Amino acid sequence: MSWIEVVVGGVKSRVAVVRARDGVWISWRGTTRYVGPERRSAAAQAEADRDVRAPMTGRVTKVAAAPGTKVRRGEVLVVLEAMKMEYRLVSPRDGSVESLGCKEGDRVDLGKVLVTLAP
Amino acid sequence: MKVLVANRGEIACRILRTLKEMAVPSVAVFTEPDENAPHVHLADEALALGKPDRYLSAEALVDAARKSGATAVHPGYGFLSQCAAFVRACEAAGLTFIGPGAESMEMLGDKRASRAAATRLGIPLVPGAQEADNPAVAKESAEKLGYPVLLKAAGGGGGRGMRLVRSRDELAEAHEAAKREAKASFADDRLILEKYISPARHVEVQILGNGRDVVALGERECSLQRRYQKVIEEAPASRIGAETRRAMFDAAARLGRDAKYRSAGTVEFLVSADGSFYFLEVNTRLQVEHPVTELITGIDIVKAQVEVAQGGSLPEAVAPRGHAIEARLNAEDPYHDFLPQAGPILMLQWPNRPGVRIDSGIREGQEISTNYDSLLAKIIAWGADRESARRRLVETLREITLLGIMTNQSFLLQLLESDAFRKGDTFTTTLEEREWPEPPLPEEILSAARRWIASRPAPQNGSAALPTPWDSLGGFRVGS
Repeated sequence: MSWIEVVVGGVKSRVAVVRARDGVWISWRGTTRYVGPERRSAAAQAEADRDVRAPMTGRVTKVAAAPGTKVRRGEVLVVLEAMKMEYRLVSPRDGSVESLGCKEGDRVDLGKVLVTLAP
Repeated sequence: MKVLVANRGEIACRILRTLKEMAVPSVAVFTEPDENAPHVHLADEALALGKPDRYLSAEALVDAARKSGATAVHPGYGFLSQCAAFVRACEAAGLTFIGPGAESMEMLGDKRASRAAATRLGIPLVPGAQEADNPAVAKESAEKLGYPVLLKAAGGGGGRGMRLVRSRDELAEAHEAAKREAKASFADDRLILEKYISPARHVEVQILGNGRDVVALGERECSLQRRYQKVIEEAPASRIGAETRRAMFDAAARLGRDAKYRSAGTVEFLVSADGSFYFLEVNTRLQVEHPVTELITGIDIVKAQVEVAQGGSLPEAVAPRGHAIEARLNAEDPYHDFLPQAGPILMLQWPNRPGVRIDSGIREGQEISTNYDSLLAKIIAWGADRESARRRLVETLREITLLGIMTNQSFLLQLLESDAFRKGDTFTTTLEEREWPEPPLPEEILSAARRWIASRPAPQNGSAALPTPWDSLGGFRVGS
């Protein structure tokens, strides 16, 4: 961790930086952000967009999708519970479900693929 | 007296500090993920509980008290703090429970029972139905009251198991979800239903009792909420009249006396635009936001709890001095549905300012997991008036450096700097009424950060080099 000096709008400012994975966390006047490496290619991104992943570690309380069913953008696919709160994971686009990566009652880790949409 | 603190995080730290000040010996307990958490090192001794969920095991806690020779238990908030069975288990083991007796806890902690008591005492209530377990019954009551309505867990608080239902179409799904969440949070899926009052302020009264008499120490306003969980709290309430305040104090104290209440508790009300107030519920425990009352009264509420538990007298209610505002710093992403965040705290620096109190339960190097509540620290600022307190809190939040996980730090600043908050136009709906877009960072800073990283070789070993699920999540926005 360290501090770097940056001139913002003509004024010298101190910014906290910490390396993490292949990116960097920065904090400036109360705003914090992780700046990752450059974006991946559009094709790789489209492939990644097929997967609906667990945004946190938690327990699957409901699976509302089944392989082969058509789903609309915004439709709830999976309900996840963490810290006693429920989070609804919705479909990022119109399409159909190719496969499921979880079932009700499963404990899932951050990043786990819960639902894969057909390409 | 030797006190076991049956909790973790910032509240365990805060209680342990007061115990140290009072020269009362203390015992901390910790689970596997908390082995090195800050609260463990603040106590005179610490005992391991085992698995992450053991803060909820009455048996393990009583056992730890026995082993350590503790004579009393402070439950903090959350976990078993509102569990009458835990109070009885402590008492059966000869331990003093630093909180209300099991009976007053049952009488006031349960929403149905406390509403019955309020009705008997002539305290106004939000119109609603005390039984809404059955979806058909809930529907009938909702139609009678008229939408929108709120579904709530009868046996709990903290916004868990709560759902706003705007129309008939939403009822079935909301009912199912509220029941599920209530069951998971409180092992109790009973629901109540009430008319949704809006706009309204959330105002609560801090009470303190000794089993006979009850004093009202002051009110707090906690209107700014997300998912029915408080984000910013202040004392005094920003815009309520002296008469409303007096009447609420009186109602809260009467409710407490009626239940022979002992220790600290909070009586929550909704105050509508015309100044009329409605009783909501009682939190039969120390509350997260108790420091704002402490800062304007000079009363240490935890100390008062310990003294009352030892048979000491109640502190006298005092005239409040100045204004205090608290902001809750949470491990969550405020710009993406407030998703809880997990990860290591890689860098942590708290600023130091006169009139500012930071109740934190974290340290640099600690791994934040989703096992527990997302609250990391409370930042509380005092000022001679509301605007001075607000400015002090804003400058403090700007100076906090916490890197490694996403927090709601910038969101707190947006709220405190908003016109609505400056003017005191704070209602329970204020936060949801508008969008709070992620604030941009200046391009100069983003490019300097990229240059900094390009100038250093990637770490060769250690956890930072291991791929994490974040790497595969993809789509990280580069400060667009």
